[in-house]
Amino acid sequence: MELTVNGVRHDVFSPPLTTLLNVLREELLVTSPKAGCEQGGCGACTVHVDGRPRRACLVPLAAVEGAEITTVEGLSDGDDLSVVQAAFHEHYAAQCGFCTSGFVMAAEALVAGGEAGRDEIIEALSGHVCRCTGYAKIIDAVGAASRGEVSGAEDPAAPDRLSPADEPVKVKGSPA
Amino acid sequence: MKAIGARLPRYDGVAHVSGRTQYVDDVRVPGTLWVKALRSPHHSALIRSLDTSKAEGMTGVHAIVTHKDVPHNVYGHLEALGVPADEPLLAQDDVRWKGQVIAAVAATSPEAAQAAVDAIKVSFEERTPVLDIRTAADPGADTFHQWGALYPHFGPYNHRRVRKGDVEAAFEEADHIVEGAYRPQAIEHVPLETQVSLVVPEASGRLTIYSCTQAMYFSMGVVAAHLKWPLNKLKFVGGTVGGGFGGKVDTATETICALLAIKAKRPVKWRFTREEEFLCSSTRAPWHVEIRDAVTDDGWIRGRRMLTLHDAGAYARFSPYGLTKHAFHHTGAYTIPNLRFDGFVVFTNRVPTTAMRGFGVTSVSLATELHLSRVAKVIGMDPFELRLKNANRIGDTTGNRVVMHDPSTVPVTLAAAEAAGIELAADYRAMTSDRRTGDLLPEHLVGQQAPDGEHLATFRGTDANGGAS
Repeated sequence: MELTVNGVRHDVFSPPLTTLLNVLREELLVTSPKAGCEQGGCGACTVHVDGRPRRACLVPLAAVEGAEITTVEGLSDGDDLSVVQAAFHEHYAAQCGFCTSGFVMAAEALVAGGEAGRDEIIEALSGHVCRCTGYAKIIDAVGAASRGEVSGAEDPAAPDRLSPADEPVKVKGSPA
Repeated sequence: MKAIGARLPRYDGVAHVSGRTQYVDDVRVPGTLWVKALRSPHHSALIRSLDTSKAEGMTGVHAIVTHKDVPHNVYGHLEALGVPADEPLLAQDDVRWKGQVIAAVAATSPEAAQAAVDAIKVSFEERTPVLDIRTAADPGADTFHQWGALYPHFGPYNHRRVRKGDVEAAFEEADHIVEGAYRPQAIEHVPLETQVSLVVPEASGRLTIYSCTQAMYFSMGVVAAHLKWPLNKLKFVGGTVGGGFGGKVDTATETICALLAIKAKRPVKWRFTREEEFLCSSTRAPWHVEIRDAVTDDGWIRGRRMLTLHDAGAYARFSPYGLTKHAFHHTGAYTIPNLRFDGFVVFTNRVPTTAMRGFGVTSVSLATELHLSRVAKVIGMDPFELRLKNANRIGDTTGNRVVMHDPSTVPVTLAAAEAAGIELAADYRAMTSDRRTGDLLPEHLVGQQAPDGEHLATFRGTDANGGAS
């Protein structure tokens, strides 16, 4: 059978009832969709099938033969992030990161339809579970992405990262 | 000072949002075998026989391990702290919780591994399970643990105790005695990434262990102890955890994968299914907490008697440690001078319990805060004012004689009242964390105060048992 994944055509050899999740992860080694529950409950395996978000763990290969599959790897070109990806990064919407691919794919589909209000965002993300963030930062990120409010540039006052050469932060009373 | 006040990007943020973070389950090593486990179908049973011979010959099966394959099977998570060992890696003579691992198979596919697991023959003799901590230690109750119903190794005691002041007098002199019982429930951590590890036997004789652990060097010690290997033969690769919240402190899969990898001479991966994660990974413990406070009409809590039962599940693991933290915090964020606390770690035929966000302390916070609100209601006082009056202040001492040098109860309570739009009386609004004086230092609180100026040093109590015995 044939699948197009992130713009590249593949012949695939998994049996036809193999889940799309296992085809992607185990045969094609595309590992951003996660096996969080493998029963459609957590959303961590969400990918786009012909532009629509689907749970890869519930979709058999035979049902998507010839389809165009997009995963989170396909949204960015190296560090050149999509608007949604950049918004997730800027708003600290990814903490442990395990659910992030699924949330980003759901958000991409929503944002493609234009500016989204808070209720629409919550509705669109309602099938996705995050155990770290409490959702607030994710909702903020998707809202910002839908309004195009992504700087793409960090606060110029902030360094990219703390290098070892930086002076250590001293706290009064801390051990020397 | 470049970091404070600045919005720094997460060092792993770009990798997370672009799908390039490599979690354990994303690591690919050619020839990796899959693991499935034979788990106990019973809460409590003796193992009469265990036969893996049919499973060993099945298609795709490379290795099967049982207790006979473990160089050091019975281990204790807190052995380094002097807590004796009680838990076998693989069940030997009996099973003590539904889901306990008896054997594990490494095979070429998850399906082949599961088929072999299904072909292992075990005969059990079921026992009456112990499931309720409130009745587990009753006279004549069923027991299954070699130590009995209660964990017995708190120094000379079978319980964690705190003694301070004269609790009898406090209760005799009280205007009100306010009682309450609180039962914080078990909680599964539900990390999106289930328990997983990948163990690769290297040509050098070492094992490379890809682990989702939250406690790398701790897990390394656990694996080394079971294998009786030196630490320098184990290379752990970790630091990328798909959610843990305390549930990835226990070493769930690494040791069994290591045994299978050694036996099969192949890389071995075990990832819990979501069902396994819910049923068989450790949870936050359920607790039973009873509080009785001696209270005066004007809102002083002068004494507290408290009984806590902590559900360890089938083995001790970290429970004594969690209960000890619970005991140290049993007055909450408040100063109560006369105390009698008794806490028991109770064994039940449930999944062993473990750390979760504020291990041991969330249960005591829930119980004590609910109880304070109950006290306020009984004596007809504003619950914020009751808290502010009894709040920890500089120089106050806790049940285990730790001196407060920077308590935050007062400012936090004032901020909470403000956020909730509650108007407090002016004298309460003006409160600070400063050392007690005047009306806030009634006679019954004088003795518990550390001498002025000594609040930065540990105040030595007078009780030879040190409160934390």
